[in-house]
Amino acid sequence: MSSRALRQPLSLRLTSGVFLAIWCLVAAFPIAWIAIMSVKSPVDAYDSNALNVILGPATLAAGNGVSVLDILFGIALIWGMVRLITRVVPGQIRSYCAPGQEWVGWVIGVLVSLLVFLLAALVVLPAVLGVLNPMAGALGRDVLGLTTEHYRTVWIERGFINNFRNSLIVTAGVVTVSLTVGTLAGYGLARSGSTLAFWILLIALIFRALPHSVLVAGYLPVFINSAEWLAPILGDNAPTLYGKPFAVIAVLVAINQPFTIWMLRSFFQNIPAELDEAARVDGCNHFQAFRRVIMPVMWPGVITTGLFSFLLAYNDFLVTSLLLDAQNQTMVPAIAGMFNRETTTTDQVVAVAAAVSIIAPLFFLVMIFQRQIVSGLTAGAVKG
Amino acid sequence: MNFRTFAAFVGPSVFMMLLFIAFPLLSVFKQSFYITQPIYETVEVETCTPGFLTQTCVTELKSQPVLDDEGEIVTRTEFVGLQSYRNVLEPERAWRAVTEGNWSTLSTIDFWKALRFTLTFTLITLPLVLGCGLGIALLINSAAGAIRGPVIFVSLLPFIITPVIGALSINWLFRGDGILTALLEWWLQRDIALFAQAWTIEILMMFYRVWHVAPFAAVVFYAGLQTVNQDSLESAVIDGATRWQRLKFIVIPHLMPLIIFVSMIHLMDAYRVFEEIIGFSSQAYVISLQWLTFDYLVPDQAGNRSISRASASAMLTMIGIVILLILPLRRTWRDHKGGH
Amino acid sequence: MKLKTILFAGAMSIAASGAWAACSYENEVPLKSLSAGFEAWKAVTDAMAECGNFSASLDQEFREKQPEAFAADPSLYQIGGVANETMIPLLNAGTIRPLDDLVAKYGQDLLPNQLIKVDGKTMAIAMMVNAQHLMYRNDVLAELGIDEPQTYADVLAAAAKIKDAGVMDYPIGGTFKTGWNLAQEFVNMYMGEGGTFLGEGNMPTINNEKGITALETMKAMTEFMDPEYLVSDSTYVQQQFQQGKIAMANLWASRAAAMNDEAESEVVGKVTMASAPMGSTRPSTTIWWDGIVLASNMSDEEADAAFRLVMEGLDADMVSANNDAAVWLSPAYTPGELAAGAAASAANGAGPYPASAAMGVLHSALGNGLADYLTGAKDAETTLADIEASYITAAKEAGLISN
Repeated sequence: MSSRALRQPLSLRLTSGVFLAIWCLVAAFPIAWIAIMSVKSPVDAYDSNALNVILGPATLAAGNGVSVLDILFGIALIWGMVRLITRVVPGQIRSYCAPGQEWVGWVIGVLVSLLVFLLAALVVLPAVLGVLNPMAGALGRDVLGLTTEHYRTVWIERGFINNFRNSLIVTAGVVTVSLTVGTLAGYGLARSGSTLAFWILLIALIFRALPHSVLVAGYLPVFINSAEWLAPILGDNAPTLYGKPFAVIAVLVAINQPFTIWMLRSFFQNIPAELDEAARVDGCNHFQAFRRVIMPVMWPGVITTGLFSFLLAYNDFLVTSLLLDAQNQTMVPAIAGMFNRETTTTDQVVAVAAAVSIIAPLFFLVMIFQRQIVSGLTAGAVKG
Repeated sequence: MNFRTFAAFVGPSVFMMLLFIAFPLLSVFKQSFYITQPIYETVEVETCTPGFLTQTCVTELKSQPVLDDEGEIVTRTEFVGLQSYRNVLEPERAWRAVTEGNWSTLSTIDFWKALRFTLTFTLITLPLVLGCGLGIALLINSAAGAIRGPVIFVSLLPFIITPVIGALSINWLFRGDGILTALLEWWLQRDIALFAQAWTIEILMMFYRVWHVAPFAAVVFYAGLQTVNQDSLESAVIDGATRWQRLKFIVIPHLMPLIIFVSMIHLMDAYRVFEEIIGFSSQAYVISLQWLTFDYLVPDQAGNRSISRASASAMLTMIGIVILLILPLRRTWRDHKGGH
Repeated sequence: MKLKTILFAGAMSIAASGAWAACSYENEVPLKSLSAGFEAWKAVTDAMAECGNFSASLDQEFREKQPEAFAADPSLYQIGGVANETMIPLLNAGTIRPLDDLVAKYGQDLLPNQLIKVDGKTMAIAMMVNAQHLMYRNDVLAELGIDEPQTYADVLAAAAKIKDAGVMDYPIGGTFKTGWNLAQEFVNMYMGEGGTFLGEGNMPTINNEKGITALETMKAMTEFMDPEYLVSDSTYVQQQFQQGKIAMANLWASRAAAMNDEAESEVVGKVTMASAPMGSTRPSTTIWWDGIVLASNMSDEEADAAFRLVMEGLDADMVSANNDAAVWLSPAYTPGELAAGAAASAANGAGPYPASAAMGVLHSALGNGLADYLTGAKDAETTLADIEASYITAAKEAGLISN
């Protein structure tokens, strides 16, 4: 609101600033707090005095701590990283990628920045600080209790990396299939005024409202026995669907379809129908019109919808915990299992570290795609 | 667009929904009218289990399912009509409680207890989510350009966080001497046990839900605010409209489709409230409709499940959501017809 | 944050895993298992994995998956982990095999106590027992001159004394979390009173004097418990103990070792394990076992290999390496002070959990219905009558009660 007439008086600006600050605190506090707990010894993490949790005296006493210098370098690294991701990466992607193929650039960009960050935080920084700290005197002395041992337990000893890989497979599968199937359907629904289209949308909406546990419980016996009932069709090598990631992907795509087609339909409705009609006058059929005219302009909506698919697949607990066995379990059911069975306080803090590990990729994702979410929504993905 | 092209576009999506949603739903519908149970026979069995040092053997009468020649359990499926619905609704007990005006008895019958909470939860969080969402969106919109990005980022955090983890982290913060309970105790100078009575748990659950969903509403509304017609705002200022009037007569009508969109999504999601019940382990005090279905469905230790009652309760839940959605849907119908 | 410590710790963890005693033979047949995921199972399946070609699913949802997975032909898992009650659905469906010939071939080291027999046939091999028993703070009780509580009346009197002395606000802890845990507490109390749960034709028989006494004892205990007792599970009670917030609890034997864990416990050596408090006829507890079953739907060669692997997993090396992780059933197990509570309860005549298909239904009905009494929404008799009614509805649906 740049216009002068709309400028707010100082008092109002102050009040809204204060409220915004309070909201940010409320929004970030629980997440920040579990992040802090995850780097403390069990005694500190569950201390009922907030200051002890933050400063971590017991962790420090055990010889795990960071110095002022460490903290400064750490903050600098994170700040640099944020700048890199929000400012440099989008520009680089725009300049290197052909229009319409930006998503390849995004995938590469995200992976590269993640790799750079991990390399810097885990290898370069400790090595540099290992040299600097002894030279820095008081600044180099440990002041804050902090330990990464829980993360090491989670990722190395507990093999969380397997769960991470499984999560990646399932999520990537769901997003790709869901968007492919969903854009086609969304386009079809947006361009058809038939009563059938309305009923499909209406029924999809009711499907969206269904409690998932009702549907999911019915899958288990069918999936476990699939080798038997698929045998007449597929012969002897009929697969057992239970425990197969692709089966879970199919289920999650289906569960996610109603929301996807609604979002994309409203988005396509906002793209003027004249565009593809013109293409059709030039001799394209509907599919060619879709590919040549619609695809180049649909990315903002697709990215936003894709993000919602991503969240659904990545965060799902009900379907994945029931239909996957331990060998290919994704992260969320794995961590729920940890919480249920772990009996010692140490194990619980390890599980907290696992929880933070699950949130971290989401954190990066939102940092990178935040502008796209807003612009996708603005471009009309949510016209009701 | 002719039917064949339409079918080609929509086909894959419809096929997946039919296979994984409609088909299971039909079987749920059917199961709610039937009961399938194994045929049991009573046999005398001697069972030996380990004691501490010696074995304990008991001989007793036990019900065992009859197995057929191939070793499968013999089952019998019976049409029971509305019996399972009656078992879920317990109409006699409920009616007696209502006629006696005894609401506390009504609220000890599972289904009505669940319905009461589900509706309260849905209807109280709805205005809160809309209000907080709109408030945050307006605040972000009036903030300086440089801090908008970071603020949107922080605001989105509660929305993206994995629900299981979100509920757990609230648990850590408030359970027992959790850090926020300790803070509240220090502030109010009294002992507080937030998980010891129904109303505090309900408030916590609603707070969690608003915290989790308001960012979504905020971002949607913020996106909507970007397209508010600046000219009409300016002319309103010239006409001497106050801030409140501008909000009421220009901004909110502009956002109306989005408000309905968010309301619809929220109604659907809040009506199937479930994670909160598990995350806050509130079963002792409050339960929700989806939790009830889930509870019928989960096998007990000996592997029995109440499929028929679960199906009936699922169908009842669905009827409820359809009723809730009728109003917003009528508008969609008009739009759909009017848009072409 | 220091590179050297990270590398060192990494090296240590590799060295630690290499220190396991290796398997005595090479397993050639690919095998899979499905069981619950607590510490003892982890120890056993790790020992089995050393023989190669074996993968374990330690799954919280095993209860839901096991009946279906074992009914598939061939079974998705060859080896299953079960307890008293979770064996029932497998047994009823005939999806687990008798083990007598295999016991004769490989089971020389098994104690007769370990063979779970149904109608004379060995259907499972028990590996450990578990029971809830009294744990109390010997220092607190000694200071106030209280003897070891023998009955719940003693426990309540001791709690009142501790509270009056101002030592603790809430001296008693209990696994009263609504659902399975709360029902289990009732089962303990009711067993202690000598009650029976089910009568002729699986009809419930809990709405009686004994049931009401059990409920009243539970309510009397809640007076001395943290008001959030309806969400407190075993792990929470264990933490309350470790942090010195409670003085007495009827807690699982498998949790005993945590009391003396130097890394987290503030009460090392101050917790005594004693027999579960006596009800009017026997100790208020039930004895549980965990053990291993083999699927019927697999070849005899696979069964042979699976049983051999199981014996390797339960061998003396595993038990002595994890001595305190459970009350093992094994000649190699040396019961220490931590097992004293379970042993004393058994010596006083504690009975096994009365597992059956109908008991499973009743346990769930109890778990959902008991909270109404403790929160004061219903009186004891109405609570028990409503629980019986909801049990009857569910049991009819399951076919356990004829209409």
